[in-house]
Amino acid sequence: MIWQNYQLDTTTLKTTETMTLWRTEKGTVEIGKNTLAIPIKLNDQRKGYIFHGHGKLLLDTIVETQEGAIGKPVESELNELFLMLGETEEIQQHLSTATKEDLTKIGYESEKGFIEKAENLFDHFFGNMRMHNHQCCGNNYGVIFAFPNEAGKLDTLIANGSKLVYKAMNQVFVSNDGKVVLKTPTEVIVSGDNRKSLVIKKCIFHRNH
Amino acid sequence: MVAIELSENLKEEMKKLREELAKLKDQLRDVTEREQRRSRGIYIDVGNRVHDYVEDVMESVAEGIHGELEKSIFIGPGGVRIIKGTVAHREEEEVEVNFPKAAEVMSALGQEHRLKILKELVGGGKYINELQEKLSEITTSTLSSHLKVLEEAGLVVQEKVRGRYLITIPGRTAYKMATRITRFLERGDQE
Repeated sequence: MIWQNYQLDTTTLKTTETMTLWRTEKGTVEIGKNTLAIPIKLNDQRKGYIFHGHGKLLLDTIVETQEGAIGKPVESELNELFLMLGETEEIQQHLSTATKEDLTKIGYESEKGFIEKAENLFDHFFGNMRMHNHQCCGNNYGVIFAFPNEAGKLDTLIANGSKLVYKAMNQVFVSNDGKVVLKTPTEVIVSGDNRKSLVIKKCIFHRNH
Repeated sequence: MVAIELSENLKEEMKKLREELAKLKDQLRDVTEREQRRSRGIYIDVGNRVHDYVEDVMESVAEGIHGELEKSIFIGPGGVRIIKGTVAHREEEEVEVNFPKAAEVMSALGQEHRLKILKELVGGGKYINELQEKLSEITTSTLSSHLKVLEEAGLVVQEKVRGRYLITIPGRTAYKMATRITRFLERGDQE
């Protein structure tokens, strides 16, 4: 497989304090203390983690147009496993080995249960993403998050500086500085720097019979 | 396609109305001149008042047509926006009004301070302290509760990260509607 170089470590860790994994003016991903973590490695270097604990995703998927704002912010609790690829140095400093008690708190009877679930997510993500190298995960290459959703698929968030792509079940949000594209089930909005925008609505005709 | 046809029809209507206006102006000029001749030097400026009245009527008709046009096609500095589907039969649209939601929106609008908040947000997103500075007569807690009402009605949205308040498209439309109705009523009072 193309992604064979990526490996899931077998060490189960936990966070020693609340951490902000990513933050820009558009969104933030935070995890709480005692969140479980398994490192993702590439050639023995840590390139990311799979986390499971308590966290929060905030994302302002709102487009400002001259006619008014469109869209609603995303605010979701991260109580399920999710994957992150990106800068790991800062995170490593706030991790320690997880105990059986830590695993129990999150709902696992043993370390094996957590590792199995993490492997499933790892396979799901790398199987879908078909990443051919790790350039996106280096020091200046941004961050990738994958959150399993209700439909059994992955909501993905890819960010690099002010550039951002968020693909979820019901929406796609792309932001690059002041330029934004938002696709919802009913419309597509394209907005430029100066709030000039183009809105294409889904065609719904009412008919009289 | 229906939206484009409608817009073409409306444009045609506006063109006809302008032509009508031009004809009315000509006729008015004739009437005024006849009046002047009949009054033998005693000139009463009826013409200008009638002229203003006709202008007002035509303007409001044109505004109405423009409003209809806006619903199907938005022509802004950013280009043309076609909203397909709003060309639905008007009667049916009226029947399908969500009255509880409409009442909620009207209730949210039915407060002077909330209208002032919307006015401030029309100019662009603002943090609560910026709104507080602009609307110093409202206490912070009252301002927060007003913003909550506006948010629940879908007229305002708050960014979760930066915390700015933004006026939504329905919010802007509602504010525009409130100001138009007021203008209309004020004009009626003067008459």
